[in-house]
Amino acid sequence: MSLLPNTAVLFGKELRTEFRSRELLTTTVVFILIVLFMFSISFRPTSDESRQIGPGLLWLAFLFAASLMLQHSFLSEQHNDTLSALRLSVSDPFAIFFAKLAANTLFLLLTELLLLPIFATMYNVPIVPVFHWLLLVFFLGSLGTAIVGTAFSAISAQARMRELLLPLLMLPLLTPILIVSTEVTKGLFDRAPYLQWEGVGFLAVFDLVFLTALWLFGEYLLEE
Amino acid sequence: MKNLDSVFAAYMAAWAIFFVYYITVARRASALRGDIERLKNSASRGK
Amino acid sequence: MVKNLLAAAAVFLLLGAAAYASFFIAPTDVKQGLIYRILFLHVPSAWTGLTAFFISFVANLLYVWRRQPRWDWLGISAAEVGLAFTTVVLVTGPIWAHPVWGIWWTWSPRLTSTFVLWLLYVSYVLLRTLLEEPDRRALLSALFGIFAFIDVPLVFGSIRWWRDQHPQPVVMGEPGSGLDPIMYKVLFFSWFAMMALMTLLIRQRYRLEAMRSDLETMQHELEAA
Repeated sequence: MSLLPNTAVLFGKELRTEFRSRELLTTTVVFILIVLFMFSISFRPTSDESRQIGPGLLWLAFLFAASLMLQHSFLSEQHNDTLSALRLSVSDPFAIFFAKLAANTLFLLLTELLLLPIFATMYNVPIVPVFHWLLLVFFLGSLGTAIVGTAFSAISAQARMRELLLPLLMLPLLTPILIVSTEVTKGLFDRAPYLQWEGVGFLAVFDLVFLTALWLFGEYLLEE
Repeated sequence: MKNLDSVFAAYMAAWAIFFVYYITVARRASALRGDIERLKNSASRGK
Repeated sequence: MVKNLLAAAAVFLLLGAAAYASFFIAPTDVKQGLIYRILFLHVPSAWTGLTAFFISFVANLLYVWRRQPRWDWLGISAAEVGLAFTTVVLVTGPIWAHPVWGIWWTWSPRLTSTFVLWLLYVSYVLLRTLLEEPDRRALLSALFGIFAFIDVPLVFGSIRWWRDQHPQPVVMGEPGSGLDPIMYKVLFFSWFAMMALMTLLIRQRYRLEAMRSDLETMQHELEAA
């Protein structure tokens, strides 16, 4: 099956393109920082309040940032007219999506990991004891966000008002991720931290469902 | 009966929403019918 | 033409009958009194909206598979009608909530899920206005519609899971609240009447879309000639 080798090559391309300039990562990190800062000065939460509303703010900030960051995914192909070349280069069009969403998940995750310590300091929430669980939740949440965002980026790249369109398409659909991730993260930020396995399971199901949908319908998203 | 006005408001709002939608579609349909007629006329005149 | 009028009249009668049943056949609720009768408007609208979205989903699948324009027409028609019914849910919800709990909005599972549903399908309709080329528009909106509908059980599921973590006061008609058997019958009859209305509205909207397509074809032919 040529899917994995094709994906690996394209994945490498995605990473190389981004790490050459690193502009996507840096811009996204700074954006989230700004959002977190603005939240903290408009609410000025106490330590207990931070544990309550912190998770929600964090995930909101990530989702907003993701909806901006993921536009670039297919927009760059549009600008450079490389999409048809890409499609010719692989036998399975899903490889294109797989590579992009893997790269996007990685970028999102990197962004979140860079910001967690800053968030923890700004909002006085201890994250070290639960870091590995946080990593799991953030991975599953980022994966779901990347799957949906990459798929819709292919749609919005072909439409008008694309900058506003991608958030509009993505964010309502990602409501389950927002709800469940926030809830699980809240448990991890609690004074007596606990992991809600049901939530983790739900996120995994979400990811699986949309990955399957993308696998089934991805080639049509790329049709000329 | 208390709350009668609320129940009344709810029913009125619901029917208003359906009615407005129905009317909007109907108006667009008759406008389109007009456009199609005009197009047919100009086509036959052209021939 | 006459058939249309007859169909509309039949739907009108059914809705009238459902309203009558809601007021005079369904028994009084001890706790809420008269106001609970909004239930017979609120809940069937939610069910009908979901049905319309399901029809849109099937139409979307059929379009992606067959690429016949009529599935695209059905997809948008059912989605718009679904939006109309969903709007009714979101409007009757606060009208019901305010006299009973003194607040306009409750984050009850039904209202919250319905709101997300509403947002999803507003996006669907908006997406179509932003895609110009007809084939592209049909395909991409169908694909979005498919993703949107797949999300629906996940939305409902996640909200219910959240509600189970944070027990909320039970709103009338939510799963878990008990209803009198006669109430159930009136509820289902109201749903039947609403489904008839849904069918009427979808058919009308479908015909509009078919006409639009005809007009476009004619314009292209004239330009080519």
